[in-house]
Amino acid sequence: MKSCGRARDLFGPYWDDEVTRAEREWLEAHFQTCAGCRTDYEQFAHTLEAVAKLPRAEAAPDLAARALAAAHRATPARDVIFVRETPGWVPMTAAAVAVLLVVTAVAPYLSRTPVGLTLAGRGTAVPEARLVQTSASAPQTTRASGPVATAAVDSLFDHTEDIDFVLEPVNVRDGRAQAASRLPGGIQGEQTVITF
Amino acid sequence: MARVAEDDDRAFTELVGRFQGRVTNLISRVLNDRGASDDLAQEVFVRVFVHRRNYRRGSKFSTWVFTIAANLAKNEIRRRVRRRNWFSLDALTEMLNDSIPELADPAESSESGLEREQLQGEVGRAIATVPEKYRLALVLRDIEGLAYEEIAEVLGVPGGTVRSRINRARSMLKRKLQPLLRKQEAP
Repeated sequence: MKSCGRARDLFGPYWDDEVTRAEREWLEAHFQTCAGCRTDYEQFAHTLEAVAKLPRAEAAPDLAARALAAAHRATPARDVIFVRETPGWVPMTAAAVAVLLVVTAVAPYLSRTPVGLTLAGRGTAVPEARLVQTSASAPQTTRASGPVATAAVDSLFDHTEDIDFVLEPVNVRDGRAQAASRLPGGIQGEQTVITF
Repeated sequence: MARVAEDDDRAFTELVGRFQGRVTNLISRVLNDRGASDDLAQEVFVRVFVHRRNYRRGSKFSTWVFTIAANLAKNEIRRRVRRRNWFSLDALTEMLNDSIPELADPAESSESGLEREQLQGEVGRAIATVPEKYRLALVLRDIEGLAYEEIAEVLGVPGGTVRSRINRARSMLKRKLQPLLRKQEAP
């Protein structure tokens, strides 16, 4: 019968509890009226119960240990370059030595910094370059107008002791420096050669 | 599994301990061979270890391990069939049909425990005669209790195919076991 075929199609979903409410009600009503389908379903259910009741196979007690040992055998050894572990003091000493070498190498260059900076730092007694006013007719204060300092009268500061440096080109010949002084008349100065 | 991927042997041992029963049972029921199931279960976990870094985080570990187990069981069935074919075609026929003629009369045994054992043996053999693709679905569903969706993932087939395979397997099994179960029901 057509309805019996439909009922048999629902055996599985009915067993798995995956039928709709309407399907369930229809199937249970069909079982009431159809002894063949009812018996068929009972056999179906007994079969699946017998399957579910099968004793479970127990795993071997040492399966985990055996699996682990076999797994390690099956895993290829990793490509590792073995490096001897270095004691902690070695890199520290190496770094200290490197710093010392750098300082030693750089120190001579640091000592050749401009005179003003270096001399002040070292406190070496080096005569400062100065301009000496020899002419009585020369102005008392000179500042900012030419090679000789000329102080502004209205300045808040006293510029009488100011010194200007006049940089002249220096010719070095046979290891001796020669410079031609271009000081204006009446101005006397001391010549100092600064090498860099 | 994350710890296993980082070569943690203890985590691997724990993992094996947690799943070894289900894996052994699955293989044992699919092959109906308790002796071979230990070796194959071991092989499943070896593969888990070897491919531990291929495991996708977020996916269910049981699905992954059952997929490996199902594939190994499938390979073993095919290997046995090939070997049988090689030795004797008759032996293959015998293997496929051996359960039905051997559905012995359980009334022969007076001990109920013995009857039960006999029945279980017959059920196991009947399952082993179901064609492989239906058998795997049946064991995963009716013995291991996996959801249809998970079985679909393990077998790599659509959910509809899984339902159809399980229905076919159940019908085959019912037909094979019907004579035995009828006798059991009889007073």
